[in-house]
Amino acid sequence: MSHAPGHSGGATVKARAELALNNEFLRKAVKFTTERLKNGKLKAMEDHGNWEEWRERGRQIRLHTIAHLDYYLNQFVDNARANGVHVHFADTAQDAVTISLAIAERKSAKSVVKSKSMVSEELHLNQALESIGVEAIETDLGEYIIQLAGEAPSHIIIPAIHKNRYQIADLLSEDAGEKLEADTKVLAGYVRRRLRAKFLEADIGMTGCNFAIAETGSMVLFENEGNARMVTTLPKTQITLMGMERIIPSWADLEVMATLLPRSATGQKLTMYMSGITGPRRSEDADGPDEMHIIIVDNGRSLQLGDPEFQELLNCIRCGACLNACPVYRHIGGHAYGGTYSGPIGAVLTPSLQKNIAEWDDIANASSLCGACYEACPVKIPLHEMLVYLRRRKVEAGHGNKVEGAGMMGFGALLSKSGRFKTVLKLGKLGQKFVARNGEIRLKVGPLKGWNTYRVTPSLPKKSFREQWGTMDAEIREGLKEMAPEMKQRMEQIVKDRTKGGGNGHGHS
Amino acid sequence: MDTAKSHQNWLLEMEAQSRSKQTSFINGISAKLRRPMVTEPPRHPYRGSPDFWNAYEWDEQERIDKFTENFQSVGGHVERLSSMDEVRSFIADKAKEMSAKYVIRQNQPELEALHLESELPEASISVWNTDPDQHWKARSAEADIGVVLVDHAAAYTSSMVVLSSKDKGRSVSLLPTVLIAIIPLDRLKTRMGEVMVHFDEGGRESLPAGIHFISGPSRSSDIENDLTIGVHGPGIVYAIIVG
Repeated sequence: MSHAPGHSGGATVKARAELALNNEFLRKAVKFTTERLKNGKLKAMEDHGNWEEWRERGRQIRLHTIAHLDYYLNQFVDNARANGVHVHFADTAQDAVTISLAIAERKSAKSVVKSKSMVSEELHLNQALESIGVEAIETDLGEYIIQLAGEAPSHIIIPAIHKNRYQIADLLSEDAGEKLEADTKVLAGYVRRRLRAKFLEADIGMTGCNFAIAETGSMVLFENEGNARMVTTLPKTQITLMGMERIIPSWADLEVMATLLPRSATGQKLTMYMSGITGPRRSEDADGPDEMHIIIVDNGRSLQLGDPEFQELLNCIRCGACLNACPVYRHIGGHAYGGTYSGPIGAVLTPSLQKNIAEWDDIANASSLCGACYEACPVKIPLHEMLVYLRRRKVEAGHGNKVEGAGMMGFGALLSKSGRFKTVLKLGKLGQKFVARNGEIRLKVGPLKGWNTYRVTPSLPKKSFREQWGTMDAEIREGLKEMAPEMKQRMEQIVKDRTKGGGNGHGHS
Repeated sequence: MDTAKSHQNWLLEMEAQSRSKQTSFINGISAKLRRPMVTEPPRHPYRGSPDFWNAYEWDEQERIDKFTENFQSVGGHVERLSSMDEVRSFIADKAKEMSAKYVIRQNQPELEALHLESELPEASISVWNTDPDQHWKARSAEADIGVVLVDHAAAYTSSMVVLSSKDKGRSVSLLPTVLIAIIPLDRLKTRMGEVMVHFDEGGRESLPAGIHFISGPSRSSDIENDLTIGVHGPGIVYAIIVG
């Protein structure tokens, strides 16, 4: 049985990250894939040119649409209905599940073939369908693999990023009832044959929705494999799950989104397929669904509307570029975040959708606030600022960590006077003489215990960044916040011990 | 019990629920935005691509060259032919080379005029949706080759655009192992925006149920980032630019 990705396990991001960090393969795979996607994006941006202008245009279109979401959603719904679509509204995940199950029951469905949908992951729809005896089959190659493994996606674009081909061969061999060679072609070929039959016999096809065009009532899907086309072409009934913010006004606006999304996601000029579906099949057509449903899902999205700090989250086009850019994601992988959405977007979106900031607060700390996510975002969502807002709200709500709070206060005091900051830096430089070896600090006690368990703290440079540039980088701040107050005490102690004639003071390893 | 009728009733019931729900759902959004519901079309100053892009255009040779370069770079094949006669020979040769037994084509006059039946007497050639008793999705699924004439193309992204209709099945460009798509040269534009403008101008009522931009063979990198071609859709795609 697949586990529900969620916080219910009670584990913290730190605990989940420790699991992830101890998995050597995952770390390498995530690093490799995110590097590849990130470099692909950089190249695509450069090839296309004027990237900042495109980004700004994308941002403006999303801002405009969300600011008038009531108008555009009404327009979309009217047009979709005129196209013959049955439109439904779901305030909550439960509402959306109820509607989906009602349709499946009305259709006496035995099986549902699904193409990738993050909304469906939010709803845990597969488990719900199985509970009424309907087989739910994920048809995206990576999603099919992790469904067999009973796991959740660990990357929004490459869901099975954490599995190697031997693990995949084992899973698919069990599915096939015969031993399959751990060769990508053999494995993909098996899935093609296996799912071909499933597409043709399924009663319902279920999709997500990348964009919904208000002026024509069309829904748009981007994909590379062709499974979303299968799902929207072959079964008699189609259900589309759509986040209520997926709207754009026109096809002209789609050109901008189609320019930003694939380049940001995978570095492609365009995905191999981009489909605009406008209603069920026309009566004289010989393929396409007879009946088409679109379920418009809120599930916490409206909580961000009208909130000046978080409304821009609704601009997200789900490309995954912030994951690939994030040094923390690259290190711990998607499962450590524990929610449907991982990486920087997940760190902000999950608590925002759930409204339970207290419970999810630790996820906001899984970030170094370096701003790489904002730089990567094709619609310029200030994710790094949102992470700070989240931390602040957590503290305001009384869920702050006392020790950290004290550190923050000390840090604040430190920052309030640049002279003091300079002194601490100098002190740090003096102190590290006792613990640094070859430019690294491997001390696993005191304030550096948590950090140095998995990494090595670089020693402070002879000439600090601040001394060189007169400005501070957010990551340096973050690092110093962790070391400064207690470190200072330690250092003083060491110096004291030393004056007592305590030898060379190198007693730590 | 008439199940079709009871299903229709159920749909009507659901629609009534949906319409009443719509009011509270959209009102909720307006309330969150702290203003009355917007009912007049808002001014959208940033509609579509930036002006510099809308003015961007390649000449014919550049369009052919760039389409070819892009399409090949994603694993597709491009042929540049001058006439439909050459297209006929090309398809016939390919079909023979690959020992194709089943071919399916769209019901388009340009394809009809190719007379593939006489070129390929040993293959079974079916024409989309010409017989109401036939199971056309299955015919497409078993086909070795699907042949389509595309409605539009855009060179910048090497995209071919196919629109569904009674005579043009979505399955024909999706289910066969090999796709052969013919692009009349005058339909090859520079940007996809030049294609999309038709959909905006024509409006909702002009749109077919399925509009598909096809920019190469089906692919996935889901297993260890190892590129696999032909995962669900056609793995071999020929784009023939003709004219």
